[in-house]
Amino acid sequence: MNLEVLKRKMDEANYIYDDALATVLAVALQLGRPLLIEGAAGVGKTEVAKVMAAALGRELVRLQCYEGLDESKALYEWNYQKQLLSIQVNQASADKDALTKSLFGDEYLLERPLLRSIRSEEPVVLLIDEIDKADEEFEAFLLELLSEMQVTIPEVGTIRARTIPFVVLTSNRARPLSEALRRRCAYLYIEYPDLEKELRILRAKLPHVDDQLCAQVAVAVQKLRASDAILKKPSIAETLDWAAALDALGVRELTPDALRQTAGFVLKNSEDLAALDEADLCGGDCGCEGHTHGCEGHSHGCEGHSHGCEGHHHA
Amino acid sequence: MLNPGVYLEKLSLFSRMLRLEGLPVSPRETEDAAALLVSLGFEDRERVKVALRTVYAKSREEQSIFDRVFDGFFVSEETMRRQAQEQMRREAEMAETRRRAEEELKLNGRPIDLTAEQRETYALMPEEAREYLRGIVDRYRDSAAQNPKLYANFIHSVFVKAILEEQLRLEDAGTGVEGLDPDLGLLYRDISQFRDAEIPRAISIIQSISRQINGELSAKRRRGGHSGRLDFRRTIRRGLETGGSLYHLEYRKKRQRRRRLVLLCDVSGSMVQFSEFALRFIQELNHVSENSRVFLFSEALFEADPFSLQNMDRFRDYVRQSGIYGRGTDLGAALEKLCALRPAVLGDASTLMILSDSKTVNQPRALAALREARRLSGQVLWLNPIPEGKWKYVRSVHAFASVCTMVSCSTLNSLAAACRRLAER
Repeated sequence: MNLEVLKRKMDEANYIYDDALATVLAVALQLGRPLLIEGAAGVGKTEVAKVMAAALGRELVRLQCYEGLDESKALYEWNYQKQLLSIQVNQASADKDALTKSLFGDEYLLERPLLRSIRSEEPVVLLIDEIDKADEEFEAFLLELLSEMQVTIPEVGTIRARTIPFVVLTSNRARPLSEALRRRCAYLYIEYPDLEKELRILRAKLPHVDDQLCAQVAVAVQKLRASDAILKKPSIAETLDWAAALDALGVRELTPDALRQTAGFVLKNSEDLAALDEADLCGGDCGCEGHTHGCEGHSHGCEGHSHGCEGHHHA
Repeated sequence: MLNPGVYLEKLSLFSRMLRLEGLPVSPRETEDAAALLVSLGFEDRERVKVALRTVYAKSREEQSIFDRVFDGFFVSEETMRRQAQEQMRREAEMAETRRRAEEELKLNGRPIDLTAEQRETYALMPEEAREYLRGIVDRYRDSAAQNPKLYANFIHSVFVKAILEEQLRLEDAGTGVEGLDPDLGLLYRDISQFRDAEIPRAISIIQSISRQINGELSAKRRRGGHSGRLDFRRTIRRGLETGGSLYHLEYRKKRQRRRRLVLLCDVSGSMVQFSEFALRFIQELNHVSENSRVFLFSEALFEADPFSLQNMDRFRDYVRQSGIYGRGTDLGAALEKLCALRPAVLGDASTLMILSDSKTVNQPRALAALREARRLSGQVLWLNPIPEGKWKYVRSVHAFASVCTMVSCSTLNSLAAACRRLAER
C-alpha cells in the first residue's frame, strides 16, 4: 500500500495525522517490519494500531502486557482440564501412544493473541500494548516472532505464520527496551499534538461541540502542557473528555469559573489542581477567556474556524 | 529529478557515519534504507528523512543523532558550497584571532609562560575578558620591566586563573540535546546548573526513573532463582488448576541478604541541591531506603529523622532548621564522629555512601578519617557532583578517590546509574 492510499484510508477512518506519521506507517508497512511506538501516556499510541486495523480492513488482535505476562497468557496454553477428562474417558484404550499424541493436538490447544495472529487465515493487526510493562524474558521470547514470524511450541514444533500480521508495539518508556527488540522494529516517537492538530482532533471527534469552545479548550490544554507547574500533562483523551464535559454542562465559553469547575477532567492529581489555583493559570495564561485580566475580546474567542484560537488579545 | 542511485552509493558511507556517532547500524538497516530510497526517490527531502529515521533510529536519543548526521550529510551542492565558504571564513577568522592572541600574550616582548592548551583557550575567550587581561598587562608593564621576576609571576597567575575559569565555563556548556527535548536536556545537564523552575520537572524525572529501577529490580528478584526447597502450600494450590495433579512445582524463594546503607550527605551551601536530589533517588528506591540511615554534615554531624525524610518537599527547610546549613565543610570531623557513634553505625554488612564534592577543610584529617571509615564498613562509595572532566582541577578528589570508589554524578543520568548499581548490590 503506497503513502497516498494509506492517507486516503486513514482519512476515511476519520484519523487526524501529519505527514511524518503517515510516512512512518507507510515505511513500516512497505518493509514488513513491526512498528515500535514510544511517547508519553495519552498521546495516541494505541490509537495508531486501531486506525491501522480500520484502514487496512483487518481484525485487531490485542495483547495487553503486564508484569508477569508469560507465554501461557500470550501465546498458547494446553487445556489441562480437557486433557485430564480425555485421559479418564480413554483410560481403557489399548493404544496409549495414540492417546498421548492426541492430547497435544489442536483440539486441546488454547490460542492466545500471538498464536492467533499468526494462525489467522486473514492478515491481522497485532497490537502488543505497553511492552515496557512486561518482563525482559517476555521481550526475548518475542524476538523469534518478530524477526522470523514463527513460534516454537515444544510439543508441536515450529509454527510458521500463515499470514503476516502488521505488528504494533507501544511503550511508555517505563523501562528501557532491549537493543535486540528495538533493532527489529521500525521506530516512531509520538509527541503531544500541537495546537492546530489538537483542534483538528477535537473537531473531528466532537463535531457537535461549539467551535469556539473547542478552540479555547485546545489553547488551554496546550498551555497546561507547557506549564512547568503541571506534572501530569493532559492527554488527548483527557482533552476530548474535558471538551465533552463542558459541552454536556452547557458551557459555551471557557471562563475561569468553568475551568475550575471542570478541571478534574483534565488534571488528575491534587498537586496539579493546586498548581492551577496557585499559579493562577487562568490569569491570561490558560487559554480561557479571562474575565479577570483585562482581556479584550472575550466575547469572540476564536476568529475563523480554519485556524487556531486568535481571540486572546491582551490590552 | 535526481537519480536515487547517486544517493545509494553514498548510503553505506552514511551508515558508517551513523556508526561513528554511536548508532548500532546493521547491514539489514542499510538494506532497508536502500529499498526506501529506491521507492521514494529524493524529491521530497523531508519525507526521505522521516523514512530513513524510522529505519535507522530506534530511540528518541538516536533520533536526535540521526537528524544531526542527516542534515550534515544529505545537503545540496549549493548548501555544501555555502558551508565550505562559511567554514573557510571561520577558519580565517580563527587564525587571525590566534595571531592576535599570540601578540597579546607577551610581556615586554617576552611570551608569557602558558601551555598550548591555555593559549588556545585564551584565543577563545570573549573580547571583554581579554580586554581585562590586556589592561592588567598594560598597567604592570613598567613595574614588570623594573622587577621582571615578581611581576611576571603575578601576571602569569592572573592569566592562568582567568583561563582556568574559561575552561570550566566551556566544559559547562550544554550537551546540545536540551533544545530538542527538555527532559533529555535535564537528564544530561549538570545538576548545579538547574534553574528553580526546572526543579519540579527534575523531581518528576527522578520519580519516573526510580519507579523504573524498582520495577526492574522486583522483576529480577522474582526470577532470581529459588532456594531448592519445595513450597508445598503454593504447589498444592497451583495443582488445583490441573485437577489436583501437581503439574507445576513451586519453590521457596531465595532470601535476599540486604546491606545496610549509611548515607553521609554534605549540606554545606552549594551541595544542598545535589544532596537533595541524591536523597530523593535513594528514598524512592524501596530496596535501599528501607534499610538506611541518613546523616547530614557541614561543620557538624546530624542524623536526619527518617519521618522528616519521607516528605522530601520540606528537605531544605528541614536542613535549615537543623542549624548546619550554609556552613563550611569538615568531612574529617563528621567521619570521626560517625565512626565513634555507639551503638556502632558502620559494620561489615554496611555500605557507607558519601555525597560530597570533596572540598573540605583539613584534608589530611579527612583522609585519615575516611581510611578508618573504610576499615570499619563493608564498602565505601562516594558520589561526587563534580564532573569527572574537572577532577583534574580539584586536588582533594585524587586523594579521596585513592581510598574509596568515587563515582561522578554531576547529572541526573549519572546519578540514576549510580543509584541503580547501588540498588542491584
